Amino acid sequence: MGVILEARALQRNFGGLVAVDSVSFAVEEGEIFGLIGPNGAGKSTLFNLMTGLTPASGGTFTFRGETLTGMPPHRIAALGIGRTFQNIRLFKGLTALENVKIARHSRTVTGLLGGVFGSGKSRMEELSVEKKAWEILALVGLADRGTELSDNFSYGEQRRLEIGRALALDPTVLLLDEPAAGMNAAEKQTLTGFIREIRARFNLTVLLIEHHVPLVMGLCDRIAVLNFGELIAFGSPAEVQKNPAVIEAYLGAE
Amino acid sequence: MEEFLQNYGFLLVTLVQQSLLALSLYFPLTAGQLSLAAPGFYSLGGYIAAIMATADYFAPWRDALGWAIFPLEWLIAAIASALLAFLVGIPALRLRGIYLALATIAFVEILRVLCLNLDITGGAVGIFGIPQLFESRWGYIWTFGPLLAATLFFGYRLDRSRVGRAFKAIREDELAAGAMGIDATRYKVLAFVIGAVLAGIVGAMSAPFLNTWNARQGTFDASISYLAYVLIGGGRSLWGPVLGAVLLASLPELLRPLKDARLIINGVLLVIATVYLPQGIVGALHRLKQIALSRGAAARGGDGRHP
Repeated sequence: MGVILEARALQRNFGGLVAVDSVSFAVEEGEIFGLIGPNGAGKSTLFNLMTGLTPASGGTFTFRGETLTGMPPHRIAALGIGRTFQNIRLFKGLTALENVKIARHSRTVTGLLGGVFGSGKSRMEELSVEKKAWEILALVGLADRGTELSDNFSYGEQRRLEIGRALALDPTVLLLDEPAAGMNAAEKQTLTGFIREIRARFNLTVLLIEHHVPLVMGLCDRIAVLNFGELIAFGSPAEVQKNPAVIEAYLGAE
Repeated sequence: MEEFLQNYGFLLVTLVQQSLLALSLYFPLTAGQLSLAAPGFYSLGGYIAAIMATADYFAPWRDALGWAIFPLEWLIAAIASALLAFLVGIPALRLRGIYLALATIAFVEILRVLCLNLDITGGAVGIFGIPQLFESRWGYIWTFGPLLAATLFFGYRLDRSRVGRAFKAIREDELAAGAMGIDATRYKVLAFVIGAVLAGIVGAMSAPFLNTWNARQGTFDASISYLAYVLIGGGRSLWGPVLGAVLLASLPELLRPLKDARLIINGVLLVIATVYLPQGIVGALHRLKQIALSRGAAARGGDGRHP
């Protein structure tokens, strides 16, 4: 064990609005780390800073000591940081299988001509991509729907496919942005088990943003609480629940 | 048969040529990039072939190579188009959607005005008497035909390959593609270069076919024609641009008895098709097939008690 991700004074301003205000924390390898906070607290912005989709206004973010701030998103992904999106961003016009295959991009090398003329090496690679993609679809329970357009899937299925797509990257770190949103109680229960299962199976470190408090408290090893872009509390679920600043942020001051 | 080819040979080869130009728009479009630069590269390729075929400087080359000068022209046109596309693509592809389309139209215009004023391109007159590769117009099916077959093979295989998937990912959601490890800039430039190389080779093949080459070959009007082929045929399938080009390029010929009224019909058809067939004809056929399939599946599902 050791620190795998570290944010130091991470900052993001949108004009006059400070979305993430000098946030510092460290994530230990192998833990499930929860990010909670009221709407607009800056949780998704923090994910976007970590994955390079939004450039930081200041501070640094490191993965195993390597600075990710300033790196383009595709390179961060190739380092093994996979993610899902709050407002599901699947490749809607493509099949579930293609969605997963696309995420194998950085783990494969076939170029334009190799792919078009079907060199021996590229055919082998294509077969392994195909096999891996079906395995992942089976893992997320969509093995029989691989050839369907992802746009036709139900909300819960799309969330599962998006996790599958992120897993196809062979990630070391998985960022899940509200994975349980729109799910019913039974589905949330299954999801909790599923997140634990994939962490064990792929040696993942998981960061998740979630509003459903029981799920977060039950699943996460440690939790960071954001409010108006500031980190107001940090610790185990039990510690965070007792923290007066957290209670104030959620329930308001007396 | 001979008489048919004499009358319609030129039209048939033109349909294949126009299909190829429609496809040169299709490739950038697979990566979500609406580029109208094809006529620019088409014009460039044609000038390269015309100059190599007529300029005194290249006379020893022609004597030494014989007919082999033609494939050399195609190769040089392809390389020149690729280089120019690379140079133009890197800044231009920072723009999105309609802004990219406008920038590529500007590129076509700049190239046209340049060709109109340079000595090497023959100025406003252009280049005349380009030596022929075949005796009849119909003969050119032996250059354009194999090129179309090769392009369709290329497109079909590309669609099922790693690079083709990267293109489609960018088309569907550029931001998500980046988060999945795809370098969007690199693949957008590559898709743009593929389209440019195709247009450049078609231009080099077209110079002898059309016998003369001038600045009117690469105009804004041509950009719009190719775009119409893709819109009407459908831009999400390899067959769409081909079907669109065959239909629209033969339309003026079929409607010839109507004289000038045919231009009106041409325009009306374009409007109707874009309003009622947003995915083009091939897209509409594909949808029909899917609806039929899901109906079939529902019928097999049995008694309707199981939703």
